[in-house]
Amino acid sequence: MSGFTTFLGKELTEIRKTWRIWVIPGMLVFFAITSPIIAQVTPALLGSMAKAQPGMVVKIPSPTWRDSYAQYLKSLSQMVLIAVVITGAGAVSGERSSGTAVLTLTKPVSRAAFVMAKIVSQAGLLVGATIVSTAVCVGLTIALFGSAPLSPLLMAVSIWTVDALLLIVVMTLFSAGFASRGASAGAGLAFWFLTLLISIWPPATRYSFVGLMSASGRALGPQPMEALWPVMTALVAGVLCAWGATKVFERQEL
Amino acid sequence: MTVESPDRHPSASGHPAQSPAIEITRLVKTFGDAVALDGVDLAVPQGSVFGFLGPNGAGKTTALRILTGLARPTAGEARILGANVSTASNVVRSRIGYLPDVPGFYPWMTAMELVEFAGRLFGIEPATLRERAASLLEMAGLSGVRTKVGGFSRGMKQRLGIAQALINAPSVLLLDEPTSALDPIGRREVLEMIASLRGRTTVFFSTHILADVERVCDTVAILDRGRVVVSAPIDELKRRAAVDRLVIEVGGDPTMLISELERRPWLRAISRGEGSLTLSVSDLTAAQHELPAAIAAAGLGLKRFEGAEVSLEDMFVELVRRAEA
Repeated sequence: MSGFTTFLGKELTEIRKTWRIWVIPGMLVFFAITSPIIAQVTPALLGSMAKAQPGMVVKIPSPTWRDSYAQYLKSLSQMVLIAVVITGAGAVSGERSSGTAVLTLTKPVSRAAFVMAKIVSQAGLLVGATIVSTAVCVGLTIALFGSAPLSPLLMAVSIWTVDALLLIVVMTLFSAGFASRGASAGAGLAFWFLTLLISIWPPATRYSFVGLMSASGRALGPQPMEALWPVMTALVAGVLCAWGATKVFERQEL
Repeated sequence: MTVESPDRHPSASGHPAQSPAIEITRLVKTFGDAVALDGVDLAVPQGSVFGFLGPNGAGKTTALRILTGLARPTAGEARILGANVSTASNVVRSRIGYLPDVPGFYPWMTAMELVEFAGRLFGIEPATLRERAASLLEMAGLSGVRTKVGGFSRGMKQRLGIAQALINAPSVLLLDEPTSALDPIGRREVLEMIASLRGRTTVFFSTHILADVERVCDTVAILDRGRVVVSAPIDELKRRAAVDRLVIEVGGDPTMLISELERRPWLRAISRGEGSLTLSVSDLTAAQHELPAAIAAAGLGLKRFEGAEVSLEDMFVELVRRAEA
């Protein structure tokens, strides 16, 4: 893949020097900080609301590390995945519409290298930011709740990361295929909602990547779900989508 | 203002040194029903400064996009330094420099960062790259500019585009309307830079500014509606066009003579200047035989009879008009 390393270097510098450094990492760290705090104060808030209603008695168990982790995962599964869709929508289409793809691709850089550098840089940003934010969440959880076992959160976040990485690759495919950032964002959101819809059907959840979200949530509970099939199918789908993105982009005229 | 001499690699296919730098054969490009290029044949001599002229929509940018591998031909082929641009794209791209008509840059980079990024894509050694980037930015009048590219004027972007296109000391430089956004001084500097490459780098540039072509090009091709109307050295074209054009000066009122000449089948056009008539003719021999007699019959005296000086603009308009007819 001619030009891959240089173009990847450009992508990583671009992340560091532009708004891209703030969006996904910023959101992840924000949720890592706020989730343990929300878990801690929610019972007190509900209790004070109940006091305001005469005759109402609300019995809420004391919050634990599990509530903190669950809040963090909920934020990742909703807000951060939507951010992945929105930011990934312009990965290729943005360079095409601004003319910068022409600048790069009239040099000895293959289109496969261009697409793969996009995927690797976004994946690196997501994984790095997830490691940092998860560490922050664990630290704050220990500070607020006294204990924070690592393995359930690591399992849950790892499964979520596979889901997010798949979404990055899918978004790169859409971004390579659609002419505008808006169209690829629309297709990405449609894909995300569709996977949520399909996940209602138990066999799909058990044997395909649509089950990643459920597997991630249940990793915190007493009966974790078997995640091998969802993870393996996600890997296969990711490889196919990356290959598809390369082929789609190679066929395009700029 | 001069630029560094290009690296002299052997041609990609081992072609001898005098084979054309760019060779386009029966090139066709269609977009649905629209035909952008309709069987274009072109040979660009090595080391020449080649002007690619044509009205808007003639297909110039499409041809350049095919040459750079950004688009694929519907039929026919294009070769640069002997290598087919469709099948040996990276081989070709390592030896060309390209400036698009509207260059797009990463707005967060500085000029130096951008030129160095372009150089790294060619695998240029860091020490050579730093030296070359500094020299090209000096040439482009952008050395010491610390502003991000996003804050550049269109003229600055155009000059930066030329600098990045030269970073690999290309054997073939493809420029799409390189002077269109420049002020007169910037334009003169760019044209001088292009002229300084003559004999060392093949420069192929599309433009609609005929004065630029007349100033720096040694060979031109005129493209109209996807077809090459003419391709030849400028001097030869001027000579060829001049023999089809006559200027006569007569004593007396030429109104009757004009009416008479307009009936002759060999007359294409006649225009009346200050004391002279300029005739565009389709059959020069017939015109030379019949004109003196017609002047005498109109009762006028012949003062001057000669071939006209033809500007590139006259030629361009005439050739495009003929092609459209």
